[in-house]
Formats: sequence, C-alpha cells, structure tokens
Amino acid sequence: MKGFARRLAGQLARGLVMVWVVLTFTFVIISIMPGDPVRAEYENLLQQGYSPEQAEAQAAMLHRFRPTGSVFEQYVDYVGSLLRFDLGQSLYSRVDVATVLADAAKWTVIPVLLGTVLSFGLGVVVGVYAAIKRSSKLGDMLTMSGSLLRGIPDFVVGLLLASIFATLWPILPRQGAVNILYEPWTVEYVLSLGYHAILPVATYTISAYGGFILAMKSSVVTVLGDDFILAAELRGMKRSIIFRYIARNAILPLFTVFALSVAAVFSGAIFIERIFNYPGLGMLLIDSIGRRDITVMAGALLLITVAVIIANIVADLFYSVIDPRIRRAGDRV
Amino acid sequence: MTLATAAHAPEGGTTAPAVRIRDLTVVYKTPAGELPAVSEIDMDLPAGTITGLVGESGSGKSTLALSLLNAVQPPGRISSGTVEIDGLGDVVPLQGDKLRRVRGGQIGYVFQAAQNSLNPLKTVGKQLLDLGRSHDVDDLRALVSEAKELLGRMGLDGARVLDSYQHELSGGMRQRVGIMLALVLNAHVVVLDEPTTALDMITQANILEIIRNIHAERGLTTLVITHDIGVVAEVADQLAVMYGGRIVERGPVRSVLGEPRHPYTQGLIRAIPRLTGDIDQARALPGRPPTLGTIPERGCVFRDRCELRMSVCDTVEPVLERHADQLVACHAVAGQEPDGGAPTDDGQEQT
Ligand SMILES: Nc1ncnc2c1ncn2[C@@H]1O[C@H](COP(=O)(O)OP(=O)(O)O)[C@@H](O)[C@H]1O
Ligand code: SF4
Ligand SMILES: [Mg+2]
Repeated sequence: MKGFARRLAGQLARGLVMVWVVLTFTFVIISIMPGDPVRAEYENLLQQGYSPEQAEAQAAMLHRFRPTGSVFEQYVDYVGSLLRFDLGQSLYSRVDVATVLADAAKWTVIPVLLGTVLSFGLGVVVGVYAAIKRSSKLGDMLTMSGSLLRGIPDFVVGLLLASIFATLWPILPRQGAVNILYEPWTVEYVLSLGYHAILPVATYTISAYGGFILAMKSSVVTVLGDDFILAAELRGMKRSIIFRYIARNAILPLFTVFALSVAAVFSGAIFIERIFNYPGLGMLLIDSIGRRDITVMAGALLLITVAVIIANIVADLFYSVIDPRIRRAGDRV
Repeated sequence: MTLATAAHAPEGGTTAPAVRIRDLTVVYKTPAGELPAVSEIDMDLPAGTITGLVGESGSGKSTLALSLLNAVQPPGRISSGTVEIDGLGDVVPLQGDKLRRVRGGQIGYVFQAAQNSLNPLKTVGKQLLDLGRSHDVDDLRALVSEAKELLGRMGLDGARVLDSYQHELSGGMRQRVGIMLALVLNAHVVVLDEPTTALDMITQANILEIIRNIHAERGLTTLVITHDIGVVAEVADQLAVMYGGRIVERGPVRSVLGEPRHPYTQGLIRAIPRLTGDIDQARALPGRPPTLGTIPERGCVFRDRCELRMSVCDTVEPVLERHADQLVACHAVAGQEPDGGAPTDDGQEQT
C-alpha cells in the first residue's frame, strides 16, 4: 500500500494548502471589511465603560484576534484559534460560531448527500440504459434529457419546482425544514422533516442528474468497445459476469464526477436553500452577510470550502482504492 | 474442392477435430450497403494441424477467424455458408447459451498480443474462476492447478501470474495468459489472431515455440493468423493466403513458400528479407490492399496490383484450382500450367 500512502499524503498536503489559502482569505476579509468591525466593536465596548484590557479581551473573544495588535499578530492569533477549532462568536447572537455552523450544517450536508446519491443511482442506471440503447430513439431521448437538464442552472430548477409544487399547485412546503409545532422525534415530526426536505432534495437530484447520465453513458460506451469485453465474450463468459465487468469498469470514472457533483451541489445549496428557506449553511451564509455577522460568514465560508475539498479528496482516494492500476502502482514492478 | 492433405496425427492418437468452412460469406453493413469482408470461402483446418492464415491488414483474416466462433460483431453478420466442426456440427446456426458454451469450451480464441484481453480491475486468477463458473466447472481447484501447470509450461510462475493484474504483466506474459485461458477448459480447436504482433523478437520466437509445443502435446487443431509470413513459416503445416476477402492460394507450407504461384503470394514473400535471404532483393509489395468499399465486384480482386494482369482478369473471377500441392486462384497460373505443372521435388512432403 505504499502507493496509496503516498497518494493520501499528497492529497492531504494539497488540501491543507487550499484550506490555508481560504482561511487567509477570510482573515483578509475580516480585517479589511469597511469600518473595521473588530475595531468598531472595541471602541463600542470602550464607550460602554469597559477598561481597554476588558474591551480588548471581549473583542478578541468575538473575532479571535486583538483589535490593537499588528496585522501579523492578528493573523497569528486567528490561525492559532482556528487550530483549536475556536471560530469565535456570532456578532449577531453571541452564540459560538461552531455551534451555529453545526446546527446549520446538518440541514445542508444530509439533503445534499441524499440528493447527490439519489441522482447518482438514477443517473447511473439510466446512463447504462442509454448506452445500451444508444442506437434507438429511446436511447437518444434519454441522452437528450441529460444534456438538457445539465444545461439548466440549479437555482432555475429550484425556482421552477417551487413555483409548480409550492405556488401553482401547493402540495409541498417551501418554508423551513420542519413544522416546529411538532415535538422532536415523534412520528409527525419525522414525517414533517421528510415532507419539507422533498423540494430541496428533488432540486439537488435533478440538477446533478444530467451530468451523471451523460458521464455514465459515455463511460459505458467506452467500456463496451474495450477489447476485454469481446475477449470475455469469446471465452464464453456468462452474460451476468460480463455485465459486472462492464459495470465496474464503467462506474470507476464516475466517482470523480460524483465528487465534483457533491462540490457543485454544495455550492449550489447557497441559492437553493434561499429559495426554500431551508436553514442550512447557504441560508446561514446569506443571512450572515445581510446582518454583517462577519464571524459567522467567515466560518460558513471556511466550512463550505473544507467540505468541498474533503469531498474531492475522499473521491480521489476512493477511486484509488477500487482501481488496482492506481492502488497497486509502485507496490511491485 | 478439398485439399488432399493427410495431416500428421499428433503423438498418442488424436482428439483433434477437423474444421470445414464452406461457401462462407460475411458482410458488414456500411453506408453503401452490406459489403462482403469474406467472400464465399472454402477452407479446411485438417485435424491436428497448424494452419497459417496470412494476408495484409484488412484482408478479412479476423472476420474469418471470428466466424469460427460465430462471433462476427455487429454491424457484421455471416450471410451464408457453414462452419462445421467435428463433434459440434455447424456453428453458424448456434445461438444463446449453446453458442456461449462452445466458445471457450470447445474453441479457444487468443486475442492479439498488445491488446488488452483481460479485465483491468480483476486479477488473472479471479478471471480464471469467472471462466470456470461460466462453464460450470465443478472442481475450481483443479482448474486453478491446470492453469498453473499451463503457465508453468510456458515458463511463467503460475501462482504469481494468477495473483497479478493485467497492468502488472508484460506483453509476452499477457499473451501467454491469453493462451492459457483459451486452453484451460480443454478446447481442441484454437484460433490465435496475430499472436506475436507488437511483441519483441525474442518474445515472438518464444511464443511461437510455445504454440508449437502445446499444439503437439495437446493434440489441437490450430489456426494462426498473421500478416507476417515469417511467423507461419515457423509454425504452420498448412498455409492459406488471403486477399480482399478471398483465399487466393493455399496448400502445405513448404510448397506455398517454396514455390509460390499466385502473384500476391510471390509479392508477399519477396517483401521479406528473412525468407529471400537477401536484404537487397527484398522489396515491398507496391500499392495498397483494398478496403471493403474498393474490392471489385467482378474479376480478380488483386488485379490493380498485379503485374500479370490480363483482360480476362477484369471480368472473370478466378477460382481456386489445383497446381501440384497447392490450390491457386489466378488466370495467369491456370494458363501456364493447366495440369498442375511440373512436380516439385518435395512433392510428397506434407508438413
Ligand atoms: N465493424 C466493422 N464495420 C465495418 N467494416 C469492418 C468492421 N470490421 C472490419 N471491417 C472491414 O472488414 C475488412 C476485413 O477486416 P478484418 O477482418 O479485421 O481484416 P484483417 O484481420 O485481415 O486485418 C476490412 O476492410 C475492414 O475495414
Ligand atoms: S487473376 Fe489476373 S489479376 Fe488476378 S492475380 Fe492472376 S493474373 Fe493477376
Ligand atoms: Mg485482424
């Protein structure tokens, strides 16, 4: 597994560099934000009668760096507290940013993953079918549906679904994630959760689906033309076995597509959640910008980036675990 | 029309079946309609012999070979003819599961060397087990040891090869794995399509020796396809020369190579320094072989490149006729030697 370890190390190093770039970026935003919010907070506290030391400590707790330090000192403070997973406090609610993020994250991560996985399953099956039937009308239609759907931006899909199923023909809710009148984890509560999740999840599913169909179709068509498939046929292999050969070889490149889709759907969630007033990270990011709640904004940005990076790393490593050409590269000659 | 060649029976009696191809035509669907890649071919693979099939790329060799397994790929199809194999009957009408069992079970097919005939995601051993399960082999352990033995005989470490993925094997090793997979179920008819193409010279020689040895040991009926006439010179007993979807000359290897009669065979041999023995005299065959769309419908398929072309060649297609040991399809040869010509001094030699 030497090759695998090397690959993992490389991926982690690249991921860390990207995280570092983003956190530096959020730091720059916070420190150059018009009106210097840290400084403003500090002066505000001074005016309220705090001593300079108290005011400084208080402001530092919010922002994780001292308002009076040099830029370099502030940066060191900032990175240091991030390393301790201390993201400061919300300027708006004074709750720990970490808590705010964790609350919001579950409303994004679960529906996004659910939507992408559903879409993956659907797209793979339909893609295989479109590949096998590629010289028939039905195959053409399936492929075209894929190209069409891929061309529609995800927020348009969201708006369309919202106007059809929540406005024109109001059978589905577009407000929030659950009916808050229900007691948590009762049957009604769980049903209400699912009910509220339908539109966002459907949006994620539909917007990722076109990409999966097209990728799977072209992958299957490529594998079908590979020599080893004909060779297996000429050796009299059973159809079911040949089908498995095709499926496994064709699905491999799809994991990259999957990672890219998770990342894309994740970033798309910023607008989709807004459409459905769904309380995830995207809503949080937009709300925090509206409230000038810079700590939360920076935290949400950082978390979204890290999630996207992790999605990519996981997919790449997954790919290398199931593809022996990569997994065993370097193990033997 | 049959060629009277009593084949050598392999030592210890023969289990090898003979193969009789009759009037075989295979067409491919093209924008210009269905065009024949193999036209009305008659050919025998005598039991227990190695038959070489040579011809430039595009002459229809692979198409003919796939017909033996009734495995011509769409948009192609066998439009007429029969392929009879002793003990199996005609394979052309076979379908479905019955056809599948014949492939691999009775007829082994070895793919071109450099190409990838293995699933890149599974070890050779796992694919061997898949093969065994496909053919309802009860004793998979015996199958594995049989495979190891075959690999061992070909100079490979069987256990290690079975534990390897395709990308971990060299071209020559892959080719040997292909041969093993074609033989491990005890097929007695074996087709090797370009078995040495893309291998280096030493590996080529090695593979040819393996083919010869295993052929003799197992009592096989073997068809070796190649565009390299030097390869057949080394392994084959019988030789068939293909051009534009037709067999233009065939007979015992010695006669065909020693005294080629068809202008195309002569050109092929002249083009090879190894055989003429003189590099300076080797000269490439001028012109290019026809493609499906440019094969003439009437007359001789070779006439555009032929120095002996006559007016009859434009209108009448020459049929295979006997000349001493060989069958030759050429008007010029027919004119010169109507009775089969002068006897050759090795006229009685068959292999
Ligand atoms: N799938 C196909 N579709 C159309 N034409 C084909 C196809 N496969 C082979 N052919 C044509 O049939 C002829 C014979 O091909 P092939 O049997 O592969 O020749 P060889 O093996 O001697 O190189 C060639 O002219 C080739 O272009
Ligand atoms: S039949 Fe005519 S054109 Fe054809 S090979 Fe013989 S002489 Fe040449
Ligand atoms: Mg070929």
